[in-house]
Amino acid sequence: MASELIVNGHTYEVRAPVGASLAHVLREELGLTGTKIACNEGHCGACTVQIDGVPALSCITLAHAVRGEVTTIEGLRDHPLVDAFVKADAVQCGFCTPGQVVSAAALVAANPEPTSEEIRHHMAGNICRCGTYPRIEEAILHWRG
Amino acid sequence: MELLRPSNVDQLDEGVYIHGGTEVVPLLRDGILSGERLVDIRGLVPRGVRDATIGAGTTLAELEVDPQIPAALREACRLAASPQLRNMGSIGGNLLQATRCWYWRLKYPCRLHGGDTCFAREGEHREHAIVANDFCASAHPSDVAAALLALDARVRTSQRELPLAELYHVPDEADRNVTRLAAGEVILELELPPVEASVYLKAMDRKKWSFPQVGVAAARAGGETRIALAGVAPVPWLLESADALASGDEWATPLPRTEWKVPVARALVRRAVAALG
Repeated sequence: MASELIVNGHTYEVRAPVGASLAHVLREELGLTGTKIACNEGHCGACTVQIDGVPALSCITLAHAVRGEVTTIEGLRDHPLVDAFVKADAVQCGFCTPGQVVSAAALVAANPEPTSEEIRHHMAGNICRCGTYPRIEEAILHWRG
Repeated sequence: MELLRPSNVDQLDEGVYIHGGTEVVPLLRDGILSGERLVDIRGLVPRGVRDATIGAGTTLAELEVDPQIPAALREACRLAASPQLRNMGSIGGNLLQATRCWYWRLKYPCRLHGGDTCFAREGEHREHAIVANDFCASAHPSDVAAALLALDARVRTSQRELPLAELYHVPDEADRNVTRLAAGEVILELELPPVEASVYLKAMDRKKWSFPQVGVAAARAGGETRIALAGVAPVPWLLESADALASGDEWATPLPRTEWKVPVARALVRRAVAALG
């Protein structure tokens, strides 16, 4: 069953069978490997993408059921948050970082000056097993540089 | 596998119904749900809030910030799951989510799966039920269901209208189902009667992104207080009265390692009633 997918402004045809996850299609069909798969069951947030600007978990989203435009970390490469994460050294192993930036980009789009409490509430679905949370919070607080 | 997208109830075919997918996709992947036909019901389930009516397709994230929504439900949404899951998950789907019982999730042949043993009763059950747990000790994980039960919500499905309490069924030998939804029946809307005050309090293992160990919703309307609990029974649990827990602990039948939930429930009920003012 053919299905169209709009990712970072480009339109693609999904070839995978119904049941394939959006994360799988992004990585294996479209070569957009910035989106990470870790738990693959909707817990950890590593696979976060935006669908029409809203953070969603691509590992438990069926590719054929996507209605809306997908933005992955590749579509955010020029976002000031990327530099902010580097500047705050908000990375250790870096595996969760794409998902962190995708979630944070949605937050600052809706709320350009979030408080620490708002950041903690909004970012609660992105787990960092290295524990860089204070630096992630710092990066988002100072995302404009 | 095929995916259908009906746009009204008359076009509904049988299959595995999917809305936000946060529960259905992992259950399909684990083989607990199966079928060759997925039915995306987003085209026919109303979304959004109109007066006291909530479309069952409204996401938890949308309800969390809606000032028309009573405090207990807003807070239950805010404290549920993670931001991404609240963005994806609908309130109708949340009411139908399955237990987090690890034996059930790991497909042990337990009573909910049609077997003759509740493995949790003899095994690991720290997070399990403390009432109505004789046949099956699973705990219902929906914060939202407890809030809606305290708020005395009514449910409109594709086939009928019913009080939320009647949607649920404590599983027993004759009927292992946790809900009374018929095959092909879809939750469309929820109706909330007016309340004067409401609150939701939740004990969890972490401060964020955790299922309720005990959740307590309380609502006051017309001089009466309704209290409902999440995480304590195989279904969302309505207390008979606000004083039901005051006279002792006979109301609960905890397992050896769920005894800790009993004083937690009592304390949260006391705080919730106090918070109603």
